[in-house]
Amino acid sequence: MIFSYNWLQSFFNKKLPKPEKLAEILAIRSFEVEEIRKSGKDWVLDVDILPNRVPDCACYLGLAREIGAITKLKVKNEKLKIKVKSSKLNIKNFLNVEVADKKSCSRYTARMITGVKVGLSPKWMQERLKICGLQPINNVVDAANYVMLETGQPLHAFDFEKIKGKTIIVRKAKRGEEIITLDGSKYELDENILVIADSKEPLAIAGIKGGKKAEIDENTKTIVLEAANFEPQIIRRGSKLLNLKTDASYRFEHGLDPNLTEAAINKATSLIQEISHGKIANGLLDFYPKKVLPKIIKLDLVYIDKLLGVKISKKEIIKILKSLGLNPVESGSKAALRGSPPLKAWFRKILNVGVPTFRLDISIPEDLIEEIARIFGYEKINGILPTTTLIPPQKNDNLFWQGMVKNILKEVGFAEVYNYSFISPKQVSNFKLQIPGLLEVENPVSVEQKYLRPSLIPNLLKNIQKNQEYFEKIKVFEIGKIFIGKNHEKTSLAGVITTRETKQGFYELKGIVDLLLNKLGISDIWYNECSSKKSGMRPFEQCAVIKINREEIGFLAGISEGVLRVLKIKQRVVAFNIDFERLAKQCSEEQVYQPISAYPAAVRDIAVLVPRKVKVVEVLNKINTAGGKLIMDVDVFDIYEGEELPEGKKNFAFHIIYQAKDRTLTAKEIDAVHQKIAQALESQPSWEVRK
Amino acid sequence: MGLYNLKIKQQGIDVTAPGKKQFFGHLHPLTLVRRQVEEIFQQMGFSIIGGPEIETEWYNFDALNIPKDHPARDMWDTLWLKNKLLLRTHTSPVQIRYMEKHQPPFRIIAPGRVFRHEATDASHDVQFYHVEGLMIGKDISMANFKAIAKEFFQRFFNKEVKIRMRPGYFPFTEPSFEMDIQCLVCKGKGCSTCGQTGWIELWPGGMVHPNVFKAVGYNPKFWQGFAFCISLDRLAMMKYKINDIRLFYSNDLRFLEQF
Repeated sequence: MIFSYNWLQSFFNKKLPKPEKLAEILAIRSFEVEEIRKSGKDWVLDVDILPNRVPDCACYLGLAREIGAITKLKVKNEKLKIKVKSSKLNIKNFLNVEVADKKSCSRYTARMITGVKVGLSPKWMQERLKICGLQPINNVVDAANYVMLETGQPLHAFDFEKIKGKTIIVRKAKRGEEIITLDGSKYELDENILVIADSKEPLAIAGIKGGKKAEIDENTKTIVLEAANFEPQIIRRGSKLLNLKTDASYRFEHGLDPNLTEAAINKATSLIQEISHGKIANGLLDFYPKKVLPKIIKLDLVYIDKLLGVKISKKEIIKILKSLGLNPVESGSKAALRGSPPLKAWFRKILNVGVPTFRLDISIPEDLIEEIARIFGYEKINGILPTTTLIPPQKNDNLFWQGMVKNILKEVGFAEVYNYSFISPKQVSNFKLQIPGLLEVENPVSVEQKYLRPSLIPNLLKNIQKNQEYFEKIKVFEIGKIFIGKNHEKTSLAGVITTRETKQGFYELKGIVDLLLNKLGISDIWYNECSSKKSGMRPFEQCAVIKINREEIGFLAGISEGVLRVLKIKQRVVAFNIDFERLAKQCSEEQVYQPISAYPAAVRDIAVLVPRKVKVVEVLNKINTAGGKLIMDVDVFDIYEGEELPEGKKNFAFHIIYQAKDRTLTAKEIDAVHQKIAQALESQPSWEVRK
Repeated sequence: MGLYNLKIKQQGIDVTAPGKKQFFGHLHPLTLVRRQVEEIFQQMGFSIIGGPEIETEWYNFDALNIPKDHPARDMWDTLWLKNKLLLRTHTSPVQIRYMEKHQPPFRIIAPGRVFRHEATDASHDVQFYHVEGLMIGKDISMANFKAIAKEFFQRFFNKEVKIRMRPGYFPFTEPSFEMDIQCLVCKGKGCSTCGQTGWIELWPGGMVHPNVFKAVGYNPKFWQGFAFCISLDRLAMMKYKINDIRLFYSNDLRFLEQF
């Protein structure tokens, strides 16, 4: 809220600290000052009133009270006496107030002023309003606004002649009722909105904005001034429904002290009488069935020390509370102090603190402790490391394995990305995603973020699209939450690489996945060809399901040409996608050292020509079975299909590494096993070992 | 080399020619900062806890003493889902879920992605990362919080950092405060990074409100403690002098390769 420095100064006899200094003190004791700006001979302070302090501090009197407490300067105490001039008239004979909705309106006060001459307000008033961002309108409206700024209580003036039936009714609007507000906008109302009405129709949207119908104009002679207290929830809801926020609604939705209306209305009527030559009529209409009284909170001084971790003397606590207008009373009533010594000691540690009704934010001892701590000074609380039971922190396995995965992928040259958790309708159609499974955001910031991502891959492809101009080889991965179906989120791991040719990229990425899983302590890895529908998203080709210990944990696939074309990605892309939660369950840190054989290894190669549909794994199985224990390892070093080969055939070439743990293998032994393997392969119909 | 007194044959090597370029991967700067933060807190005995990103109104607001139709809700511009659930606006729900299942004393941190319905600019984005902390015991005080915070900053920035605490307002803590650190770019003189104030708002917190204890079934008479929230993105921006939060989620490899 904008405050004028000079206006604030007017509440003090002594000089306030300079604007910058005042802003600094306010920041560490009360509120941050977002901006200090010179304006003519004045300074403007934009004070960020905390939401819980709006009820008492979003006004000059309140902020002056606060400044008084933190600077120890005395605030002028001006008691206003209302001068009634037209004493023959009494408002009660002219106007009737009826509060139909007592829950929504806890207090309604009204005064009447006759013989008003509507015109411009005095220059000093106009200037103060302008500096606070309010446009001067006329002396009546300006006076009401001025008092709102000063006291925090919104007021509204009606032209008495325009009130039908001379009755003001506070009620819920009826569905279909309409109102044209002071700025000329038309609003349709319903039963969620509170209105101030006459016997016929709404005159104002209660606590939000006045209506055109009973507006003050240049012919207005008699005015009715309203100062009321409305329930915060109904104002907040109404303001949201109508999409209408005003200075008044801001104050009411944060709550106000019902005891404020009387002082505010008296101040405003006095001002209007003074600047518009009007005469205040006798009497105050005051609907206030349940008077709000100051609260008393029991404050345990031991608890203050315990919560803050600092000792503050009782004397200082009392001084601080008093400076804020609170009323601390030592609970040493005579009866109590006649009690036993321990009882007396206990009572000496208790304060009963009276809380004035304008402090809506204070209702429990902790609220009082905050007041004490901030005025005492947070900077005076020295850090003390806690002394507490040694509880070793738990290990977070999920996080541990995420860390491992990230490190491994980084080591093989991947860059980690953090994408948005959203995808756009365009991505949905590009990937032919099923809409029913997608979670939709009710109020997306942009259409790009309409759905929650059901997979990490669409955004990873966007990363390639964006970076391909600068990088030829792109390898990126991400670990993050994906969202599928009703309330279902899970952690996913996915990576993509660019490649000139899908097949080559497929084997590259398969090698990476194998390495990743091995490093996570997983050895039982299996790849199956997947049926096209399996992955949920169809834009794939060359797809393999990844299985660990027979459980499916993800897939490895090339992105189809069609999708790449739509995304304008120039190279081919291969992706892997792993359900991280399933993966984490299979990971293991266990590892056992394998003794290194003291005896040399020998390598022999073998190549075999097989029908095209035969898979490498079939050949490997045959080699291992035939070779038995003497085979240490088998490497595939070539897979070839091409013109020089017979139609429908392909060629596999293997390095076979022979080694024994207990002796040096002789050439004879190796030849025998190698021969046995060749025979086993040849025994398959239409397999041919190439020599 | 003097020790060896050798005759070295250069054999046509140009020692000023560049070495063969090696390729390696990169971790995201937020991962790096997050690891550092987690490590520091683990060293101080905090456990790391996770939780869902889709939340219910109860866990995100009500249990945290932020009732419906209360203006305090406006402090968290929320992204709602069509199914009446929401994207968590902070990781405080993780703490509520933890408290429901555990008894004090304990100390935890809850790092994770959070969401806000916010127009994006250099310092705001619809998603960012929080590391929220909670330490509850018989007599855990504000002075304890201050010591933990100071220790954290010293370890994180590897030097003495000036901090200041000032009043704040959060429905789930009372007393509440904001903790600022002196701007590391200008050392408090005022610059564009700190908006000329000399301070960076980094770490809001407070003493847990009794209503939060009641919501999770603790007796507020027996337990007290502090809660806090660090913006990981802002911490990373301070550490690496990054001036636009959106760089974290734009995934330009020219940016990521610097880490």
